[in-house]
Formats: sequence, structure tokens, C-alpha cells
Amino acid sequence: MILDRLAREVEALIFASERPLSVEQLCEYTGSGEDSIHQALDRLNKSFLDQQHALMIIEVAGGFRIATDREFGDVVSQLFEGRKPGKLSRAALETMAVIAYSQPCTRIAIESIRGVNCDSAIRTLLERDMIKISGRMETPGRPLLYSTTRAFLEYFGLSNLDHLPRFDEIEELLGMSSSELEERDLFGTGEE
Amino acid sequence: MNEQTVSTGYRIELDAFEGPLDLLLYLLRRDEIDIYDIPVAHVADQFLKYIRRARELDLDIASEYLVMAATLTKMKSKALLPTHKFDGEEEADPGAELRRQLILYRTFRMIAEELQKSEETWTEIYTSPGERERWSSDKTEIEPGQASLLDLLKALSSLSEGEPELPSQRIQRTLLTISECIGTLEHRILPGRTISFREIIGPEPARLKIVSYFITILELMRRGWINCHQAYPFSEIQLQRTERWSVDS
Repeated sequence: MILDRLAREVEALIFASERPLSVEQLCEYTGSGEDSIHQALDRLNKSFLDQQHALMIIEVAGGFRIATDREFGDVVSQLFEGRKPGKLSRAALETMAVIAYSQPCTRIAIESIRGVNCDSAIRTLLERDMIKISGRMETPGRPLLYSTTRAFLEYFGLSNLDHLPRFDEIEELLGMSSSELEERDLFGTGEE
Repeated sequence: MNEQTVSTGYRIELDAFEGPLDLLLYLLRRDEIDIYDIPVAHVADQFLKYIRRARELDLDIASEYLVMAATLTKMKSKALLPTHKFDGEEEADPGAELRRQLILYRTFRMIAEELQKSEETWTEIYTSPGERERWSSDKTEIEPGQASLLDLLKALSSLSEGEPELPSQRIQRTLLTISECIGTLEHRILPGRTISFREIIGPEPARLKIVSYFITILELMRRGWINCHQAYPFSEIQLQRTERWSVDS
């Protein structure tokens, strides 16, 4: 299969870009329409697949990127040995979950949900650029507000915040009075 | 559930839990309790048993567990007391707030598990150049105005790491042993001559010298190698060699 000019331009742009390139950006740089870009991306990925490349184009953090196949994770990881940080702890993941769904939020809000002190988990997430300080709440004490970062999306392979697993209920739950809760079993009692 | 399984259950350490809510959810699941119908007294007892066991094992109990223990105890006592209902007054359910907290926490714990699965998948996938640069030795430069508080703190701590050591000076401790002093005095306190203590230590002596020679004088007196004369307290001490010096040494 011989790739057309547009597909190869898209490939070159994505390869050379520092950040994920959005469809809009790809349109702008190639002077093509959105549909053409999507089709070009499909052709590229088909050609990667047909020729059994170790690469593919994925959508992550609001744009497209060239990525290695999961199969080669072990081989590639040698390049980053000793530099790649370890997996997140349960405390960090829980804290991450709360921030992702109720951002921007304060430390107190996170702690009231988790029921434990979250200082060190927040520090870890800040150090790993998963969250950032996005401002202060205009209440007494002006507590810091935390939000997720682009690195968070990339780390968990999310193309944007809307792609978080759907839990529409959370927002309601956070504000809902306990008597309302009584009437609806959101997660099925079989869960626990 | 028989006694055996109950006791093994306790052996799980508190460290395994992410706080009191996590422990409570574990207890509910273990005893197959519906989260919407929590028998407060039973759950409170189980929770307290756990805390007590942790205490016996001398484990550190985070304050959050103690707060929860107190809350549960309060709820239990409320549940046991007879309630007086007045017309038109809604009876507050003591378990309602706890239920809300538990459900909310359980949801986020579930999300955390989902995130963990994604993490599992995505740490195997490498993009180029992108995020992997983060782990390369040289950091990307931060644009003016883009530095976060954390960047500044990191910069500050790296500054203090590289701070040159303050100039230091070695001070040698001079030791003056009694035998050394005796060696010196051998040439100063000569047979048939009288010498004063002040003459021995010389003008403007260091404190160490005064003390060392004074102790040496005491030692020599003990051995009977010298005689000392002092006209009155704090006056000059006159020293004379005895014959024993030559005999003993």
C-alpha cells in the first residue's frame, strides 16, 4: 500500500511535534478538512498494521501521537531504567480519582472524601506533574485548589477529561442529602 | 462465620487499609452487610475490636481511625437509647452521613481501580518524543511566567544543595601528658636549686599548661620526688628536688 501525500504529511507532523497534535492543528498545517485528516490517520494506522510496525498513532491528551505497541513495553523500558518513576500507590490513585472528578478542589475536600490525611499523596502527584495548583478558593484561609494536568491525561491514556470513566452520579452524590441517597442505589448492592 | 475465620480476619494489619472508611467497607463486605442497612451497633463493635487489636500489636493508629471509632461509638449509643418523637419532627438517621461517606468513598475507590488498570496499560506504551523526555537527564526549559510554585521550590532546594561548604578551620587539641611534663621538669628542677612554679610555666602561660604542670607537681609530691614550700595561701610555690628523684627514675 502506497501512502498518499496527505497521510505522509500527517505522519511527519505527528512524529516531529513535541505535543499531541489536535485535528484542528493538523487541518491548519496541511490545509485539509477534518474528514480528510481522520481518513489519513486511518490509512496511516492501517499501513502500520499491514506492515507489522511496532508503532501506531493514538489519540491522547487532546491530540495525536506516535506510540509504540504495548507488546514492546519491556524492551523499550530499558531505555528509561532508573529514570522512569514507579507506579502510583493506592493512596495516590484514590487522591488522583477525587481530584479528576471534583476539580478544582481543596485538600480538605479530598480528605473529607477519603477520610484520611492526603498531604503526602498530593505532594507525590504534584512532584510527578499529575496535578497542579490552579488557584485559591476565596474562602477564609484561601486554601489552594488542585487540578489535573496534561501529563495526567497522557499517563492514563485519556484523550481528554470527558473520557474519564462515566460517573455522572458523583456530582449529584457530592451535593446530595443523605435521604435522597436512600432512594437510589447507584452502584447496585452486589458491588461490595 | 466460625471463630477461626474471625480471628484470621483481625490479623490483617491496619496498614493494609487506606483509612477508616476503607476498613469499614472491608468489614461490611466481610460480614455481608448491605451498605444501605448498616447495623450500627454491630459495625461499631467490629471496628473497635480492630482498633483494640491494632493497639495490642503496638501498631501506630492514625488519628483518623480514632475519630471514626468515637463517631461510631456515639452512633451506637444513640441507636440504643430510646428516642422521643415529637409531632412533625423528622427523626435524623444517625447512619445517614456515614452511609453517604461510605458510598462516595466506595465510588472513588472504584475509579482509582479503573485508573490503575489504565496505568497498567499505558506505562507499557511509549510516545515520541513527548512525556518520555521528562525522564531524560536534562530538563526542558520553563518559559518565563510558566514556572509553578513547585518549580521554584525545586530550584531553591537545588540551590541549597549546591551551596559551597563554609570555610572551616581545624583546631588541634594539644595534649600535655604528665610524663612529658616530668621530662621537662627534670631539666628545670635541678639538684640543689630552688625554682618557683611561676618560673616553670613561664610568662602568660596557656591554661592547659598551668593545669598540666600543676597536676604534675602534685604527682611529683606524691612520689616524694620534690618538696614544696609556700609562705602563705596563693603565694609563690617554691620547688626543690629530693634525692628520691634520682634513685627512683
